[in-house]
Amino acid sequence: MVPEPFFALATLLFSLGIIGIVSRRNLFVVYMSIELMLSSVNLVLVIFSRLRGDMDGSVIALLLIGVIAAEAALFLAIIIHLVRISRSVDSDAFDELKQAKESR
Amino acid sequence: MLENSIFLILAIFLIGGGLTMVWSRETIISAFGFFVAMLAMAGVFALLGNSFLFLAQIMVSVGAVVVLSMMVITAINLKEENLPDEPNKLRWIFFTALIVTPFSLLMYRTLVSVHQNFAHTSEGYGSLKVLGEALFKDWVLSFEVISVLLLAAMVGAVVIARKELSDGA
Repeated sequence: MVPEPFFALATLLFSLGIIGIVSRRNLFVVYMSIELMLSSVNLVLVIFSRLRGDMDGSVIALLLIGVIAAEAALFLAIIIHLVRISRSVDSDAFDELKQAKESR
Repeated sequence: MLENSIFLILAIFLIGGGLTMVWSRETIISAFGFFVAMLAMAGVFALLGNSFLFLAQIMVSVGAVVVLSMMVITAINLKEENLPDEPNKLRWIFFTALIVTPFSLLMYRTLVSVHQNFAHTSEGYGSLKVLGEALFKDWVLSFEVISVLLLAAMVGAVVIARKELSDGA
């Protein structure tokens, strides 16, 4: 097996995730980009596990899938909460932790 | 040869799904792109010869995470005017891609050079038995910690997402 295309694919997915996080303001797209980045890391783990021929990388990838599920539940709960308090999924609407330049 | 063409098809689905996810204005279409990308990711796991991760990816990532996202998106039911207006979206995406490109090249080169520096063996890979032994012998502590983490995440999600009761009752 030639691993270079798989590495290129994982790198591309990670970059797509970064692009989605930085350039979009829809909270759902930000969330899904984070998930995509986590999955690409998962892919790298599986590729290395395949190359080395031992299952430890696969076990870490399996545990990481569990972490992804936990993260998804929390993130969706946070999104529901944010939508409930301001009826919007714009990430610019939630800037209460920003440095207080003009105090309200 | 067959492997190459399958990889190409899966890569097209992955990249296309990711691009749709980043590009699309409608949230549910983004979620659909995410769905396609996760499904193709499961296919890549199968192509790497890892049957159990293929199943776990389909069951957990596709069956739970993506479906939960779609359910939340449809339950929130955002109207067109509640979506953030992003007048410079294409410009943002383009310039972010421009900035990210050198970084991803660096990442690619790092991965390739790392894999050239250790010994390759491939025997007994991918069988469920070996994975089960590794999971329940060497990684059993991590496994239990993950179960506690999932429980904590579930409780936290319920606490965060429930409706605020009036005055602490």
